[in-house]
Amino acid sequence: MALNTDKIGTSYPPYTYEVSREKIREYAMALGERDPRYYSDGDDCVAPPTFAASFTVTKGGQAAFADPDLGAHWTLVHGSQSYRFGDRPLRPGDVLTCTPRIGDISARGRNELLTIEVDCRFADDTLAVLSRAVIVFLGSAPGADAATTGASAGEGTA
Amino acid sequence: MNGLEVGTELPEVSQRAELTTSVAYAAASGDLNPLHYDPDFAGQVSPTGGIIAHGMYAMGLASRVLTEFAGGAERVAEVNVRFTRPWPLHSTTTFGGTVTNLDEEFATVRLWGRNDSGEQILKGVGKIRV
Repeated sequence: MALNTDKIGTSYPPYTYEVSREKIREYAMALGERDPRYYSDGDDCVAPPTFAASFTVTKGGQAAFADPDLGAHWTLVHGSQSYRFGDRPLRPGDVLTCTPRIGDISARGRNELLTIEVDCRFADDTLAVLSRAVIVFLGSAPGADAATTGASAGEGTA
Repeated sequence: MNGLEVGTELPEVSQRAELTTSVAYAAASGDLNPLHYDPDFAGQVSPTGGIIAHGMYAMGLASRVLTEFAGGAERVAEVNVRFTRPWPLHSTTTFGGTVTNLDEEFATVRLWGRNDSGEQILKGVGKIRV
């Protein structure tokens, strides 16, 4: 089934995310990061840029996937990801307000591309990070033969 | 940043993907898709027939190249990547970047991740504040 293009521009209710020192540390460790500030107990502690993945990819996608009118399905790959950051890195104690939105839906051959944007703001409403994920749904483009769904990826693979 | 010019190559980061790196990234990021740690599940759905690393793990390492060169997270303005090939466990990817544009405010860096065969698994663009 094709994705519902009427959903382009739809925003979902915001969720909050509280940045914690231990999650920053865990994330930095998983990537083998070497900047001591990621592991600091002091006021100089900051998060690595892609720490944003821990509150945008899964949590940001949840609202869209829970929307019965969108028509998302699980034969998918993560095609691309972009982050635009605000004026300062995240720090422990930051409470972010994150608003997911359907940025775009388009067809490419047999596949469909869904852009999910998540706009994450600090408590003072300035930008913390803007996330744009392009999810590739395999084989569901209008007119594609569902019987051969997922036969070839090509667009993205993660 | 001194000595920064178009064509500057950023120091590379190499990483071998293993089950432990994949599980650690799953826990840290909250992305628990079993494609990244369950051999039976991956055997049914993976493009390679086996477990592959998270795309976001690859992006994180590409971003490390950018951040370490820039001198800190506060200097990174943007990271944009495309995942072009799967990264199977027990294989190594090398990440690097080249400065492609420079103005008074930003350096633009072309980012890449290549597997042992020299194929790109990731390509992208980063922007750092100079």
